[in-house]
Amino acid sequence: MAVEVATTRRRFTRAEYYRMAEAGILGEDDRVELIEGEVIQMSPIGRLHRAFVGNLGQLLSARLIGRAAVWVQNPLALTDDTEPVPDVVVYRPRAVPFKEREPDAQDTLLVIEVADSSLAYDRRTKLRLYARAGIPEYWIVDCAAETVEIYRDPDGPAYRQMTRATGAATLALPAFPDIRLTLAEIFA
Amino acid sequence: MAVQTAPTRRRFSREEYYRMAEVGILGEDDRVELIEGEIVEMSPIGSRHVAFVMNLGRLLTLRLGERAFVSVQSPVVLTADTEPQPDLAVLRPRAYKERKPQADDVLLLIEAADASLAYDRTTKLRLYARAGIPEYWIVDCAAESVEVYRNPGPEGYRDVTRAAGTATLTLRAFPDVALTTTEIFA
Repeated sequence: MAVEVATTRRRFTRAEYYRMAEAGILGEDDRVELIEGEVIQMSPIGRLHRAFVGNLGQLLSARLIGRAAVWVQNPLALTDDTEPVPDVVVYRPRAVPFKEREPDAQDTLLVIEVADSSLAYDRRTKLRLYARAGIPEYWIVDCAAETVEIYRDPDGPAYRQMTRATGAATLALPAFPDIRLTLAEIFA
Repeated sequence: MAVQTAPTRRRFSREEYYRMAEVGILGEDDRVELIEGEIVEMSPIGSRHVAFVMNLGRLLTLRLGERAFVSVQSPVVLTADTEPQPDLAVLRPRAYKERKPQADDVLLLIEAADASLAYDRTTKLRLYARAGIPEYWIVDCAAESVEVYRNPGPEGYRDVTRAAGTATLTLRAFPDVALTTTEIFA
């Protein structure tokens, strides 16, 4: 491990992070996120991760067509020094097009992270950031266990409600109570 | 099941680090070093640190004359992703205009430590030893002592001595050049 003793790393703002991309310091091969000022490499994508992100993207896009925007693996700016790249985000419709102003936490209805090797990180660090940002609903899809953890009602750095969907469960979206997804479909 | 890992930090190369300075991401107010690909902030320095570095700079310059160059808080290139800015470095005389000091130019490297003592004794020590820096001093500003490390190996330095109170230090590269702890800690 490089830094044996606690020392202060230089943290970067979103502006500096974008500047790194513009300057060619971060390139297309860099699968990175900006988390509290640190440029973090995203875990490599395994087969299960790929499959479940694909399924979720397709299912949600199809079922929410005309009613919400579904983005897959696009950056979501949360604060001045944090911009993760969640696996799936469902955005409420809004008047200002995304091309004019990027989406932020207030535009989100649901953020989904699909976790194979990053489960602990998604449950701790990502959860804290999403809750703090006021993201109303957050799902962690556990690839290995084929379950979905559903977090609702953000309160400070945590969510007040957590349920786990397993087996033959069906998930609903609070903003669209008529929309259903089954775990079987997600984990197909 | 996949091994659970914490996501890793993106490390930066020296080229990327320089580019950050070029495009204004890192500026003059950034007191930073590149240590194994991480951009690390140098601790703020107190008056003792300032005084002891000045004393050492002055004494070494006077006593070495033309035989070596004394660099103060300037970068030394160690590897493709490590470029610290040690408090002092005694360098082989050559032209440095086109090429920054490299590990093999360094005859003596000195870090003055107040808050950074542990870091200088572990991370920095390991990097300097691995790079083959022949002699490394850690000046403990609070205790007013100097730790002298010689004979670098892959695991660290084989010989360590500590000078405190009224002691005289000489340079491995120039055994006739002597400094007393009294002079250093004036």
